[in-house]
Amino acid sequence: MEKILSLTLWIVLGLHLLMALIVVWRVWRGENSVSRLMGLDLTSTLTLAVLVIISMIQQNSIYIDVAIALAALSYISTVAIAKFISDYRVF
Amino acid sequence: MILLVQSIALFFLVAGTAFSLIGIFGFLRLPDVYTRLHASGKVSVFGVVFLLIAAILLTPLSVWKGVLLIFFVLLASPSVSHALASAAYRAGIPMARIERDDLKGKLEKSGTEGNKTFS
Repeated sequence: MEKILSLTLWIVLGLHLLMALIVVWRVWRGENSVSRLMGLDLTSTLTLAVLVIISMIQQNSIYIDVAIALAALSYISTVAIAKFISDYRVF
Repeated sequence: MILLVQSIALFFLVAGTAFSLIGIFGFLRLPDVYTRLHASGKVSVFGVVFLLIAAILLTPLSVWKGVLLIFFVLLASPSVSHALASAAYRAGIPMARIERDDLKGKLEKSGTEGNKTFS
């Protein structure tokens, strides 16, 4: 069971890195600004998932703290850039 | 008991990865910003939350940090989707295969007349 779990964790890590690569490619080839911003938000979400998987692989909960900080920062930045796109000002 | 916990964690790992794969596939294939937002909400809500449930079951130290992060993700992801949809509609990005627009003429911009300095 331990071996199956370890193998599944590595496969899941590889799949999430592949998905992040595909989303970064889509941000590069995007068609308008909101689509690119959505790709940026998806990239930060997948990075959060990768941090959670690394904390499961290494059995160390310090990566969860990094994931909390990354979630807060990506939320603030995405909402600020969306407000800037819609109203041409942030505040 | 440990075998049961590990089996539940394995199920949540596979389910979260499947939701993330479906969300990324929809993000690549759907034709429009608004429909693509519908697909990319799955990655944040179901994928990351299921992975966090598996992390709570597998790592012994991080129960309250995981619960806090689940709460924050469930709070932040719908508001990000709402902000992106509102920004897309106010920026005038067209919808694909539109039949009816209920917000046409009802939405004025909030105090930006004469303020378009950069575009």
